Amino acid sequence: MFGRRTLLAAAAALALTIPVAGTTGAQAQQPPVRIALIGPMSGTGAFEGQLGLEGAQAMAAVINAKGGVAGGRKIELLTYDDKGSPEDGVSAAKRAMEQDNVDMIIGGWFSAVALSMKEVTRDKIITVMTSSQHPKVTEEGHKYLFRLNATSAMMSEFYSKAICERIKPKSIAFMNVNDDWGRLELDNYTKLLTGCGIEVKGHEFYNRTDTDFTTALTKLKSLNADAIYVAAINTSQGATIYRQIKQTGYRGKVIASAGNMNPKLVELSGNSLEQVYSASPFTEDGAAPSLKPWLEQYRKDYKNDPSFIAALGAQAVQTLAFGVDAAGGDPRAYDKIAAALKSQAVPTVMGELRFSDKGQASQAIHLVQVQKKQIVSVRD
Amino acid sequence: MDFTVFAQQIANGLVNGMAYVLIATGLTLVFGVLRIVNFAHGEFYMLGAYITYFVGTLFGLDYIAAAAISAVVVAGLGVAANKLIFWPLRRDHEFTILLSSLGLALLIANGGELLFGADPKYVESPFADEVLDIGTVTLTQQRVLVFAAAVVTLIAVYLFIRYSRFGKMMRATAQNPDGAALTGINIGLVHTYTFALACGLAALSGALVGPTVMIFPTIGNWAVLKGFIVVIMGGLGSVTGALFAGLLLGVIESLGGGYISLGFMEAIGYAMIIAVLLWRPNGLFSTARGLR
Amino acid sequence: MNTNSHGQPLAIAGGVAALAVLPFLAGNAYLEHLLVLWMLYALLALSLNIVIGYLGELTFGHAAFVGVGAYTSAILSTQLGLPPLLGLPLAGLVAAAFGLVIGYAALRVVGPQFAILTLGFGAILFTITNHWVDLTRGPMGITDIPPMAIGPLAFDSARPTYYLVLALVLATAYLCHALVGSRTGRAFLAVRENAPLAASLGINVFHTKLMGFVAATAIAGIGGAIYAHYIRVITPDIMGVHNVAALIIVVIIGGRGTILGPILGALVYIGLLESLRVAGPLRMVIFAALLTGTVVFLPGGLISLWQRWRNAHRSENTQPATPTGLPSTEGGAK
Repeated sequence: MFGRRTLLAAAAALALTIPVAGTTGAQAQQPPVRIALIGPMSGTGAFEGQLGLEGAQAMAAVINAKGGVAGGRKIELLTYDDKGSPEDGVSAAKRAMEQDNVDMIIGGWFSAVALSMKEVTRDKIITVMTSSQHPKVTEEGHKYLFRLNATSAMMSEFYSKAICERIKPKSIAFMNVNDDWGRLELDNYTKLLTGCGIEVKGHEFYNRTDTDFTTALTKLKSLNADAIYVAAINTSQGATIYRQIKQTGYRGKVIASAGNMNPKLVELSGNSLEQVYSASPFTEDGAAPSLKPWLEQYRKDYKNDPSFIAALGAQAVQTLAFGVDAAGGDPRAYDKIAAALKSQAVPTVMGELRFSDKGQASQAIHLVQVQKKQIVSVRD
Repeated sequence: MDFTVFAQQIANGLVNGMAYVLIATGLTLVFGVLRIVNFAHGEFYMLGAYITYFVGTLFGLDYIAAAAISAVVVAGLGVAANKLIFWPLRRDHEFTILLSSLGLALLIANGGELLFGADPKYVESPFADEVLDIGTVTLTQQRVLVFAAAVVTLIAVYLFIRYSRFGKMMRATAQNPDGAALTGINIGLVHTYTFALACGLAALSGALVGPTVMIFPTIGNWAVLKGFIVVIMGGLGSVTGALFAGLLLGVIESLGGGYISLGFMEAIGYAMIIAVLLWRPNGLFSTARGLR
Repeated sequence: MNTNSHGQPLAIAGGVAALAVLPFLAGNAYLEHLLVLWMLYALLALSLNIVIGYLGELTFGHAAFVGVGAYTSAILSTQLGLPPLLGLPLAGLVAAAFGLVIGYAALRVVGPQFAILTLGFGAILFTITNHWVDLTRGPMGITDIPPMAIGPLAFDSARPTYYLVLALVLATAYLCHALVGSRTGRAFLAVRENAPLAASLGINVFHTKLMGFVAATAIAGIGGAIYAHYIRVITPDIMGVHNVAALIIVVIIGGRGTILGPILGALVYIGLLESLRVAGPLRMVIFAALLTGTVVFLPGGLISLWQRWRNAHRSENTQPATPTGLPSTEGGAK
């Protein structure tokens, strides 16, 4: 029960306090490339933050085992807690840049944090935003900013097609989290699904702090919609919602929001996620060459199953490592790194990434389904 | 108005409300007898849910046994907390005691996160997914169990306070601690027993509510806030008041969330307690100092 | 009121001078950022101290007033284009107006009931902020809040902001000091120690309390506005229970009912949380353990250490130990 988290966190603490020592030979002279990983390490998003950190650390281990970046420099990850709050995200970014003098930053798991953090890092330091889906993150021109996850518009464009053509409910009701993303999801899907003839019967917004959803689900059930679409980022809230949908006696279809399916969620939800669809850029049976070594490292180091969030952490580290190498090895040559990332395809665990001029990545998205408590990709 | 939905919301509210009542009973006992505002109460609720989970998964015990063990273990932890913190501070200013309980709450919550991990967990119960149809109302067996177990527990607590020797000592201490001490009541022992009972009740509610939701190390915050609202609304120290206030809060939240606005569900609950306190400043069931 | 030793004005001047040169000793921008946070917490704690320390009532709604001030100024400057400098007093006014209404209702009860009433009002303000998306942008919060500026002097970095908040902290501290010595202040303390007795002496207990409460909420609103223009992003989290607990911790750990206590408490709070970063995952556990230990062993707060030392020192000089200026922390209603 002390688990890997304790060890992991202890390791992170060591990484913070002790400058990397112990390497021998010629490599010892090379200072590490220091990357700040700012994420929700406590509070309601702590589990998601932990998954992202694990994914990033496993990838750093893979890269370091192969000799690191820029001809022998190791990657060193420094962890910061943003508690899922924009204010703490700003403070963490300030500390990373001004006190710890890091070379690059990974952050932005939640949209609200990403939106405020980018103002601190704007044009000062290479910043990779991970899971946030809010369009504004990459809309506002920030020459060193990159965002990995597909925007909610890109996700919904893909996923709504699958809903219209494969899942085919006649009517739908929404159960969305009350934040920018949950509200955006409602707008996008209402438009897209109405467009293909699905009747939208209603919606409920729940709060990020809610623990029980029976009241909302009783209301949604009484709408008699063919399907209930659940937009939940937080794993514990998601699992409670999926279980309680079944417990209220709802017998229609359940549709999970894109990008929010992970093995822990499936485990916690019991049988209530069986046959449920979602969309995800990450599948374990992908073909990317770097996927296998990362999966092996991840399974060796951590007890959680590899997930999309973990893969985003890995992808962020890969992107930065690739950028440094492509720009000639100097992690502070921000203009060169940004230009290199925007001009060529970046090979990652989820396939090749291409960044737009604004730093927005395009990811291949796959339709996935839970079958016998496994997340499998659905291919025609 | 659709009667089926209305009846379902009432049922949901009664079950949620009964969970509040269980949490609040321990809080109101600690306040009524010992005059302690215990902010760490929610953390004992959290520990109750987690210990049920670990006893179940690590030792393979069934749910009922795990819940019972967890209640006993947490009662012991409550006694320890009393010995280390609340007993030595008993003569200090109320703000000091309050802040010490806040510190204890932080300590247990953060210690829990370190020890148990940040990943949410699910307390397995054989009753969790079994659906019962009572007329037009659909409830899981677990939710029926929450309600039934709470009723049994409350009756037991009531009888204990009313008729047992310790119950009488608790009531005497609640009315007048110095007078009780003069008549030879061991106040230290009353402290110990009250904490054991209160923390055991908190753990029991955690074990009962656990399988209806997911558990994570910060669920104590939620529990202690709901508990306090119910305690204050019912009248500090009043078990009967907690019962009525808890059920009322549960039903009003459920109907407010169902028919007015889900987002304002909590605010509706708070608006109700404001109205009650402005009408009766000492809560619904409070007349004078003591334990009722 | 007379000063109890000739050294006091000198000590105060020295302290202020030390605070004034601190940013130059900080060495980097991040430490200056921490200094700003210290001063902001000190300002908010001083305002909360008026309620907790002088009125002797516990409020759980203080963070909501900080939030009201922050949102007022943020909305005025982002949506109406009002200069943040004008937003500052308006934030104080709006927060005070909320304080007046809420205090008028809540101050009719005392003790735990008052605490829960303020918690309730705070939670309702939080919920409204979280759901009135058209006005407050709800849970997304307000971003891109412009920094404060006085003419050409922009408070867009830590150092100028530090001096701004320092000035406010000193002003608030002086006000508190003057208040304690005034008729009103003595009325406050009389109400705290024994409300029925105070009433029988002709003090209008309710009005006295309401005045203190409104003053506290006004300062909280101003503090919130500065915070908003400094961090430049606010979300409803600012009104959350977490912030309420943090401010109560700062006041009580420093020493409630004193002026230096909340300032010291804020320093310890910010400094300890920052230096405990080296403890990694144990950070919050150690913090909570230290907090609990301090409360158990130093019930009067950290400031009581100094008072103990001073009293011991003075009794050596055979002076009567009458603490003036700073009301004794031990003197709270037991």
